[in-house]
Amino acid sequence: MSDKLMRVLVVEDEKKTASFVRKALQAEGHAVDVIQDGTEALVAVANTPFDVVVLDVMLPGRDGLSVVRQMRERKIGTPVLLLTARGEVSEKVEGLNAGADDYLAKPFALAELIARVRALGRRGSDTKSLTLRVGDLTLDTVTRKVKRGDAPIELAPREYLLLEFLMRSAGRICGRMDIVEKVWDYDFDPGTNLVDVYIMRLREKIDADFEPKLLQTVRGVGYVLKEPV
Amino acid sequence: MTIRNRLVLWYSGLLLIGLLLIAGWAWYEMVVEHSMSRTPAQEGDTPLEEFGEVILYGGLPALLLAVVGGWFLMRRALAPLSRFTRAVEQVYPETLGEQLPSTGNGDEVDRLTEVFNSMMRRLDNSFSHIREFTLNASHELKTPLTIMRGEIETRLRDPATSSADHEFFADQLDEITRLTKIVDALAFLSKADTGYLAIASEPVHLDELVRDSFADAQLLGRPQALQVELSSCDTALVRGDRYRLRQLLLNLTENAIKYTRPQGHLTIALHRKNGTAELTIANTGPGISQEKLPRVFDRFYRGDPAHHGAIEGCGLGLSIAQSIVKAHQGTIQIVSEPDKLTTVTVRLPVSQVE
Repeated sequence: MSDKLMRVLVVEDEKKTASFVRKALQAEGHAVDVIQDGTEALVAVANTPFDVVVLDVMLPGRDGLSVVRQMRERKIGTPVLLLTARGEVSEKVEGLNAGADDYLAKPFALAELIARVRALGRRGSDTKSLTLRVGDLTLDTVTRKVKRGDAPIELAPREYLLLEFLMRSAGRICGRMDIVEKVWDYDFDPGTNLVDVYIMRLREKIDADFEPKLLQTVRGVGYVLKEPV
Repeated sequence: MTIRNRLVLWYSGLLLIGLLLIAGWAWYEMVVEHSMSRTPAQEGDTPLEEFGEVILYGGLPALLLAVVGGWFLMRRALAPLSRFTRAVEQVYPETLGEQLPSTGNGDEVDRLTEVFNSMMRRLDNSFSHIREFTLNASHELKTPLTIMRGEIETRLRDPATSSADHEFFADQLDEITRLTKIVDALAFLSKADTGYLAIASEPVHLDELVRDSFADAQLLGRPQALQVELSSCDTALVRGDRYRLRQLLLNLTENAIKYTRPQGHLTIALHRKNGTAELTIANTGPGISQEKLPRVFDRFYRGDPAHHGAIEGCGLGLSIAQSIVKAHQGTIQIVSEPDKLTTVTVRLPVSQVE
């Protein structure tokens, strides 16, 4: 898993939010620029080849949606992750229609933000491999067969989807919100231990009788499937 | 014209007719008949007797006419008031913005309608202020929540944080997550109240969503060893928002699971009959007493106070479920036999195109 280091532009007028987002992305090794104004952001993306733009919707100068729209009109294809306090479906649709690539509602988990920024930066280079492998756990996306070593593992449909999602993001923390969106098709935080229950079940099946344990919980943040070092 | 003037006019008209009748009768009896029978020898009624006759035969019908006519007049005159009453009966907090129709003829009822409409406008304003206040408050709360969450997570991810601090920050994060859920729920409800809730209108296969949530319920009920059953699942295509309908199903199944005792039963069923998709979710358990039943959809209401500590949640789940059902032109009801069965029934119109 070689994640390339990226140059990320964070456009956010709320200083504290901008500060922890910058720190978190820098801790991942990315180079981060912070701008607080929509109009300036538009100038910056035109002059600097950023890999990803993290863009707040509510901005002084020019709001986030109009920034994306302008970027796309000027044929600037830099991937954009929109941040908004509203978390409303119509706004999500509006944001994606304006040309944003992904959307995150505030308050968000940092891990979620980091994972999505990474996913956007890798976009295009991401090949959909047919067999996924983490340690001795394998998942064949064609036959939908899952094996740990040579032992076949039976999974319910949702458990399979969850495992496939975790394996595709192997090695990095998956936020709960990312999981419920991609595996459950929810656009809201279900506010339950639904994900935890499925993770527990999955753990019983893929980890209980095997060593090493691959599926780990990062408290308050999410889950990660990886081979322990 | 005012009701008073109208009544005066109509009633005087009526009395005038009565009087004219009496006068005509008297004129006939006293003048016409007298001149026809001039022979004084012939015994006839004395004028006094004749007068009595006139009063009897003329006055009584006139009185009757006045009573019947009066009743009719009152009914006519007060009809606008009855219409007004019927219109006021249809006023609910959600329909405050609608104005009652006024006749524009300037009478008392018209004036009353105007005053009532202006009162409703003032009430509607206050209601919207309160709703928008809740919406803005939940929106404003998200910024500090975002910052708190982000900063605590930054500390959690910092390898220099000691394990005791780590524990402390993780607990804080749990509380922030809980607060976020309440704020989200409030935002959802105030959006539904103010009509800002965006509900998509796309064909949704309700049966597929029901099967999904049945699978989830089976797993969620495991820790309590619940027996979860899908007793029927007719195909049903409805028009609506699949995210909101998923949310509805999750809310209801979760709620049912929460209130089922260990080893209890949970039965989900979806029937399609007469253009309606009927979803029932029934669970065994302590149930809800009759006096508490009408309040279960109230915000922040949580059945038995004794359960507060034991059962998680903020008491907004059923209110949200109700808003979602209403937004889909459906109905939701809950019946409960304490210590036996509690059943939630949701009815949604089935899409015509199938």
